[in-house]
Amino acid sequence: MSDTPLDPFKDLLGVDFTPERLQQNLESFRPVLDEIRKLRALDLADVHPAVIFEPTAPYRRGADR
Amino acid sequence: MSTPLWARPIEWLAPRIRAGKLSSESLTEACLARIADVDGDLLSFIHVSATALDQAREADAQIRRGAWRGPLHGIPLGIKDNYFTADMPTTVGSKAPGLEYPLRDSASAARLRAAGAVLIGKTRTHEFAWGNVTPPVRNPWDLTRVPSGSSGGSGAAVSAGLCVAAMGSDTGGSIRMPAAACGVVGLKPTFGRASRDGIVPHSWSLDHPGPLTRSVTDAAHLLQVLAGYDPADPACQDQPVPQYAEALRRSVRGLRVGVCRNHFFEHIQEDVEAAVEAAIHDLAAAGAKVVEFRIPNLEYGLAAIFAIELASSTAYHDLSLRDGLPAHFQPDVRTLVEMGRFVTATDYLKAEQVRAVLIQDFRNAFDHVDVIVGPTTPITAWKSGEWTVKVAGKDQSVLSVSWRNTFPYNLAGLPAISVPCGFDRDGLPIGLQIAAKPFDEATLLRAAHAYERRHDWKDSMPPLDAPSRAASA
Repeated sequence: MSDTPLDPFKDLLGVDFTPERLQQNLESFRPVLDEIRKLRALDLADVHPAVIFEPTAPYRRGADR
Repeated sequence: MSTPLWARPIEWLAPRIRAGKLSSESLTEACLARIADVDGDLLSFIHVSATALDQAREADAQIRRGAWRGPLHGIPLGIKDNYFTADMPTTVGSKAPGLEYPLRDSASAARLRAAGAVLIGKTRTHEFAWGNVTPPVRNPWDLTRVPSGSSGGSGAAVSAGLCVAAMGSDTGGSIRMPAAACGVVGLKPTFGRASRDGIVPHSWSLDHPGPLTRSVTDAAHLLQVLAGYDPADPACQDQPVPQYAEALRRSVRGLRVGVCRNHFFEHIQEDVEAAVEAAIHDLAAAGAKVVEFRIPNLEYGLAAIFAIELASSTAYHDLSLRDGLPAHFQPDVRTLVEMGRFVTATDYLKAEQVRAVLIQDFRNAFDHVDVIVGPTTPITAWKSGEWTVKVAGKDQSVLSVSWRNTFPYNLAGLPAISVPCGFDRDGLPIGLQIAAKPFDEATLLRAAHAYERRHDWKDSMPPLDAPSRAASA
């Protein structure tokens, strides 16, 4: 097992951009992040996300592709 | 001067084709001539079918034999370059090397062909349907401006009469925004109403197929063909398909027209606001009851759609991303695909929670209203190359402002339509957006048609200079 410290971008987010490209993308992401911070501040623990797991879908008529 | 064939809607053309007074061949020739005349400036088509006239002649032969298939029989349609087609290549607007898409018909292409339509060509899309300007397409109303996007090729082509109608796809507004910017009708049906099989995915839970047309009646004709269950699309629902054209006969007397005063009416251009307020007044004058309400949680909508769309698109392109392929994408698309990696799984799921909240908020609003109206876009078509626009005296990013009024209905999966409702002081079209309950496209079309009938906006054509080679009727 490697004891090399994990790189937050390369290892955790799986991005392998040049340092210049990473900076450009982070700068472009800034206004998006400003919006996403609003999500992070919300308490939504009681809300089921709009993602429905439906194990019967492949059994529906004709869904054999 | 008589109206050229290429400027006519399906509702005018179809009865004449059926009666043998007009041939599909002459109509298709008129559209091909129009493409030859003006698409050098517009650049709305990326591929024109070599078999269009053969398809038209076959349609004429079938109709002569008494086998008329319906209002789309013999009608030349464009189809966005992110739909697979058996006889035309699909590029999704990308020149990146190594990308190949199957030569087979998407569900929509197959349904349109079965209805007898002539698929005249593929219209340009913003690369991977990930953007709102659709380079290099130009807006027919002002060639220095964008047609919006990502179905900008379809919007420009229908507006300028290069085809009678065209297919688009809508992930955050990509049918309705170009419809508004180009002065045509754009319909995004309910999520699950029409199959997405054979459309290159952009964001699985937000993508909707739908038509851009010259009139609301034409949109009803296309929806009639496109709507229906398809097990090949996991999101497609097996719901009854009503006769949409019948809904158009009903007035809006007594219809409850909702106006959501927050979000949709904030920071919009003065001329857009005036046109939409006039449209609301028109609906009231026609007997509708106007009901105002607010959905405060819409302030979290932009965050939600950013997180879902970015994460989904990047998941779709993930292997390409690892191989470095986005270096060959257009710079704006490359940035969007790459920065989707910064959205965490927690952000994504919180976005889906906000989405559930908004779906419930709209559900609650529909206890009191039948449709919701407002501006399709806060701004009219902006200059090509501009990334900020001045709205209400304040510079705003085109990226955030252009889709502000359309994306809520992608998050909620509701049917929504844009219909022309006038022009701004620069002569640029303005769109009125109408939304309805899930699978209630009939009421949506009824309200849109009632408004459309009160004006002649749909008969306005962009002032393109072109030799009058096309046939007239």
